[in-house]
Amino acid sequence: MALTGLDIYKLLPKTNCKECGYPTCLAFAMKLAAKQAELAACPYVTEEAKTQLAAAAAPPIRLVTIGAGERKVEVGNETVLFRHDKTFFHPPGLMVRVKDTQPMDMIEKRAREVADYFVEYVGLELRFDGLAVENASGEASVFASAVERVKEMGLPLILISSDPGAMEAALAKSVKPLIYAADEGNWETMSELAKSHQAPLAVRASGLEPLVELVEKVRGAGVEDLVLDPGCRGLNDCLVTFTHIRRLALQKNFRPLGFPLIAFPGEGASSPEEEAILAGQHIAKYAGFVVVDNFDPALAYPLLTLRQNIYTDPREPIQVTPGIYEFGKPAPDSPLLITTNFSITYFSVANEVEGSGIPSWLLVADSEGMSVLTGWAAGKFDADKIAKTVKTTGIEEKVSHRKLTIPGAVAVLSGELEDELPGWEILVGPREAVDLPAYLKIWKP
Amino acid sequence: MAEKVEIPVQKWSGRVREVTFGATKDEGGSRSRTVTVGGEATLPFLHFEGEIPHPPRVAIEIQDKKPEEWSPLLIKVWEEVIDDPAAWAKRAEERGADLILLRLSLDDAQGEENTPEKAKSAVRKVLSATSLPLLVFGPGQVDKDNELLVAVAEEAAGERVVLGVCEEKNYRTIVAAALAHGHLVDSRTPMDVNLAKQLIILIHDMGLPLDRILMDPSTGALGYGIEYGYSVMERLRLAALQGDTMTQQPILVTPGEEAWRAKEAKVGEGVPEAWGDWEERAIMWETMTSTALIEAGADVVVMRHPESVRLVKEAIDKLWMKEG
Amino acid sequence: MSRYIATRGIRGANRIVKEAEDLFEKALAEHGPDTKVAFPNTGYYLPVILGITGTEVERLGDLKPVLEHARSLLHPVPEDRLWTPYLGEALDCGIATLLAEEVIMGIRFIYGEQPERLPGFRLAGGTFTSPDEAEEGGVEGRLNGPIDDIQLRSWGIQLVDGRMPGFAAIIGAAKSNEVAVKIVRELQMRNILVFLCGNVNGRSIIHQLTEEGVELGYDTYTVPFGTDTISAIYAAGFATRAALTFGGKKGGQTREIFLYNKFRVFAFGLALGEVDDLKYATAGGVISYGFPVIADTVIPEILPTGVTQYEHVISMPFDDIEGKDDLERATRLVQRCIEVRGVKVKIAEIPIPIPYGSAFEGERVKRADMRIEFGGKYSRAFEYLRMRDLDEVEDGKIEIVGPGFEDVEEGGYMDLGIVVEVAGRKMQEDFEPVLERQIHYFINGASGVQHIGQRDIAWIRVSKSAAEKGLTLRHFGDILYARFHSDFEAIVDKVQVTIYTDPEKMKEWLEVARAAYDVRNKRLVEMTDESVDAFYSCTLCQSFAPNHVCVVSPERLGLCGAYNWLDCKASHQINPTGPNQPVPKGEPLDSDKGYWQGPIDFVYEHSNHTVEKVSMYSIMEDPMTACGCFECIAMVIPEANGIMVVSREDPSMTPAGMTFSTLAGMAGGGLQTPGVMGVGKYYLASKKFIRPDGGFKRVVWMSSFLKESMAEELKAVAEREGDPDLIDRIADERNVTTVEELVAWLEEHDHPALKMPPIL
Repeated sequence: MALTGLDIYKLLPKTNCKECGYPTCLAFAMKLAAKQAELAACPYVTEEAKTQLAAAAAPPIRLVTIGAGERKVEVGNETVLFRHDKTFFHPPGLMVRVKDTQPMDMIEKRAREVADYFVEYVGLELRFDGLAVENASGEASVFASAVERVKEMGLPLILISSDPGAMEAALAKSVKPLIYAADEGNWETMSELAKSHQAPLAVRASGLEPLVELVEKVRGAGVEDLVLDPGCRGLNDCLVTFTHIRRLALQKNFRPLGFPLIAFPGEGASSPEEEAILAGQHIAKYAGFVVVDNFDPALAYPLLTLRQNIYTDPREPIQVTPGIYEFGKPAPDSPLLITTNFSITYFSVANEVEGSGIPSWLLVADSEGMSVLTGWAAGKFDADKIAKTVKTTGIEEKVSHRKLTIPGAVAVLSGELEDELPGWEILVGPREAVDLPAYLKIWKP
Repeated sequence: MAEKVEIPVQKWSGRVREVTFGATKDEGGSRSRTVTVGGEATLPFLHFEGEIPHPPRVAIEIQDKKPEEWSPLLIKVWEEVIDDPAAWAKRAEERGADLILLRLSLDDAQGEENTPEKAKSAVRKVLSATSLPLLVFGPGQVDKDNELLVAVAEEAAGERVVLGVCEEKNYRTIVAAALAHGHLVDSRTPMDVNLAKQLIILIHDMGLPLDRILMDPSTGALGYGIEYGYSVMERLRLAALQGDTMTQQPILVTPGEEAWRAKEAKVGEGVPEAWGDWEERAIMWETMTSTALIEAGADVVVMRHPESVRLVKEAIDKLWMKEG
Repeated sequence: MSRYIATRGIRGANRIVKEAEDLFEKALAEHGPDTKVAFPNTGYYLPVILGITGTEVERLGDLKPVLEHARSLLHPVPEDRLWTPYLGEALDCGIATLLAEEVIMGIRFIYGEQPERLPGFRLAGGTFTSPDEAEEGGVEGRLNGPIDDIQLRSWGIQLVDGRMPGFAAIIGAAKSNEVAVKIVRELQMRNILVFLCGNVNGRSIIHQLTEEGVELGYDTYTVPFGTDTISAIYAAGFATRAALTFGGKKGGQTREIFLYNKFRVFAFGLALGEVDDLKYATAGGVISYGFPVIADTVIPEILPTGVTQYEHVISMPFDDIEGKDDLERATRLVQRCIEVRGVKVKIAEIPIPIPYGSAFEGERVKRADMRIEFGGKYSRAFEYLRMRDLDEVEDGKIEIVGPGFEDVEEGGYMDLGIVVEVAGRKMQEDFEPVLERQIHYFINGASGVQHIGQRDIAWIRVSKSAAEKGLTLRHFGDILYARFHSDFEAIVDKVQVTIYTDPEKMKEWLEVARAAYDVRNKRLVEMTDESVDAFYSCTLCQSFAPNHVCVVSPERLGLCGAYNWLDCKASHQINPTGPNQPVPKGEPLDSDKGYWQGPIDFVYEHSNHTVEKVSMYSIMEDPMTACGCFECIAMVIPEANGIMVVSREDPSMTPAGMTFSTLAGMAGGGLQTPGVMGVGKYYLASKKFIRPDGGFKRVVWMSSFLKESMAEELKAVAEREGDPDLIDRIADERNVTTVEELVAWLEEHDHPALKMPPIL
């Protein structure tokens, strides 16, 4: 049975020194119990406590970082099989593969494209994480110069080569890339390279038993930052294999497989679309790195969105940036609605307003991510908050009328609001977003 | 020596019920074959762990009149058949549909109110044009749904059509019509495990056998709340496998409708360049919404674009292959 | 079971079975055994026979075993001196009667005697209006006979979906034509389907209605079966076919068919005029379907329930019914029928002159726009809801005792008392406060009316425009009547509203109400976890905390503060499949620590097998999980040997080194985290508050908001704990924000927790 925070607390120094980054030993203990912190953060923990806590405190899937600085990628440290059980913590790194057989200019162009690409989604900028450079030429020097060319983008890299010599040449040109990969034939040299360059190492084998064997060898050689490639490539194959590995790591605490996984959907797909579908599966089902061969905004955008959605913490619903949202090209006499910044509330309203085809203004109040009724009950979407939103967003300059439609569920606020917003008429809209189009049709300034 | 790898196999105590759409001539209907979904004894596609007797199925949604509000991409791709539900159904079958979902509209093509007579005739035409099992959804307004679906139920008596949608605020009449004429119903609730369960109980309480109820926990599209639908479906399926009997219904969802409502699919102009090619993006929007939901446990996905249908069916085929 | 009824029913049954046998022999001789027997336009053979015996009668010869079966069910008429429970015999004979009656009708069709001829009669829509029948001139001059399948399905759907509350089979003739019309109108008004049959001395209600020009037929939801008692069999046939069509039952599943009708088809028999042997015998059959019979003459009643849901046979001698005239008596009779069958009435629209809906709930009526106010600064207003017995409440009665507000000057005020009396078979006294709180929302829904407060601090304003549109006090009654019916139909059968403006009466009732408030307050305080058998779950929040289950007990309210045990109980009655389910306590494992087998099993099951054990009270051992809606978070402070309680209103730093919102991430999400717990703030005042961990004396720090908003309750707690100054020994964010400061403060203030056994 897992230790509770209180059990762990008893083993800690109880000095509240705060050096672990948490305010008290108890708070730190609770984080350890939730497997959201590592025992190593405590400088004063006794050896005895360490042994006792080792099992409970080590995250079952190791956190692996590639790259450095702002755009570094951290994957792993997952604790659940299903996002609803808690959340998925570290979105898989989405990487685009280039091969050193392509003309250098093409490589650079593609790298630039990936580096610069971003798409806006509910106020966030979604991006790909990095590049995978493959030593398809078999030439160490070509490989190294290809890596050199893409290095300046500052993106985290995966270096793909089974030739340790080529790998060494490329490693010299990059910052903490993922070395792909150690296999049965080269693991000893690759392990040495990983250690000397302090870079994480991918381990590749076909099937779980050979993989475990290889992992044990590599760990025995002193490399702990590993990424696993169990060799599967197709939709069903990957779903089943990745599920096995995730279950073994989490449910059995099986250390040899407690590492992030890497997937190459392009190798199992017959078209760019299928690659995207497979990449989507990897996002939802357990990959740590997904390396794609096709880069096309029309495929990238849905993929990035899916990753964003799946890795949203279900315990803390995502919030939309509060402010004024325009639908169609609203005029000063277009309808004005208000809702909360809970994403799903916003989306249901936005969808209906958009779908109605009637140009409208939508005010989004900062309800701290709560829905209309919850927000109202918690005082985060009350008359005061709504009035503040109207006054601070500058909407008063944008609309010529003074009619604000509030959600039907908080009809009860209308009286108080008219007090808070002198000169405004408060209209009560429908309770359900789906009734908005009908409502907007009869709305008159 | 390496540690031996013991593949963990979950022992599930429950399994999903089987539900059969349509009825052949012998069974009192006129379909050339029936379609059965459900019956899973494990999570999606984990064949090693338990029996999965039927793959997920794709329904193509058609309407009884040209749906002017649909994305221009959809209107273009169905252009030749969009004014004739019979031809549309036939084309949908050719494009790979396993099931046809006919949605009745509020008004007919002339802008006049839809009536039970018109709805019956549309259903009759579609039934004659295709031999696939049929689902019929009302326009989504309580009074109209009830008026039309009761008539449709009578017209399609014996065909084991799915009538939809039953929602908490309006399910009794639709269920009664299903009872009277031997049909199935779609039980739709807004992305919540307990509400989904509750409506199944209420419908079942009216006397409709559980093997005639589909659970429709609803979903958002990619980027529009899919994570809620996805997780609710995963939870429902886990509950079903753990033995919670009122969640053991096959799951039907409508990613087509949701995805094509999203701006990403609907709009081609005045959008950021980073969104990429309109048509390709729109198709992927529907496709990836659908495949994500299928991997979360959907047994039937209702879709709109034939190209997305092709991609999704291909993915289902590959997921269905028991490679190991 | 009344021996009298049994005797007469058994006698009637014997006679009708004999009659059927004779008719059968005659038909057999005249037409032969292969003659087809069927009810036209129906697909269930002879449906009652199919349902009860499973026999698919197609030819005359098929009837022989049916009659033999009927005869086998007969019992001899009880002798005068014999006293046995007769119910079984009477019911058997009732079944025999139905079988015999259907046999007779089947044969009558062979002879062309069905549907019954009635010269000059014209159906307003019916089975025989189909074109092929019209050729034979069948439209004119015939009653309807059995209801065809198309109509069965169409009405069946309405019966199943609830649009049609039920059906009434009227047998006999009313006291007068006028009464007959009134009874049918009252039933029609409620959307209840009416079947007509039988006669008294040759006069049938069908004659009465036709004479008065009432149109009868499918179009008017009144179906004339026939003017004899035997035609009542078509009602039983309709009920049987409903069970076969909508209930998925098969022929021969007698018990299932009866139960289906008992629980799903809200029908009743109404016997008008004298009840003869055959009517008693038929009633015996009808009761088996779970349909009660009400007679408007003196007959013995069969009150104990069993076969039907409530009473079996009710006698309501027409002339003894209270009422100023026959019409009013007719209305009452119908109301009683509805009550006995438990038919729920729906009110579609609230009859008031102003718009109504939740959209108006939050409206303010400013003083300048005000026509009148009740309560507030210048006058008093109260509202009081109580439950009464069913016969003490007259449904729909709205009475104003005292003047209206018409004579009060504009912008003026007056005293007002609203007394709502409700009755219902499932109503409980405990629900009174739950329902009473709804008055606020109900009144507020009227456009131009503002309602604030509750109980004797209610405050209502009516706007000028609402008054101009014709709003009067009576309309408050209309609103309450309609809303209580529609929102609480599961527990409320009857609603009566009295509004007091008469100063004397108002004062009198205010005292009654206050006494009741007092009793309720005390009752809530006195209710303990030991005094109930079951707690209630709340899984309302599983939408975002899927593994969280709240268990609400009398002494531990929901962590959101919104649901106490009574609220959950009422909510369960209203919505039996909803998020509040009873959690039987089951085996007490350690009731001191709050371990019962029931809650443990329930939480395990409903947390999707993640929470294996739960204590009702402890924070240290298997604490209850939390969703995220908690009013407060309690967390252990080991250094202080106690716990702190931070309220969600308090944004400041706590001695745990975290603010409320940081702590919330730890306490919520349905995870069991010993040492941290989300609670409703009134749990603090409960005797059971963290009792296994030392109780309230463990509280070493609490948000000042709690100290202030619960001053009175906490004072009582301090006294209960034997330390009147206890609250002052507890630190808050105004004087302590770190654990070091906390320990110092506790020593300085001599807090009892320091001397308690170690909490860890």
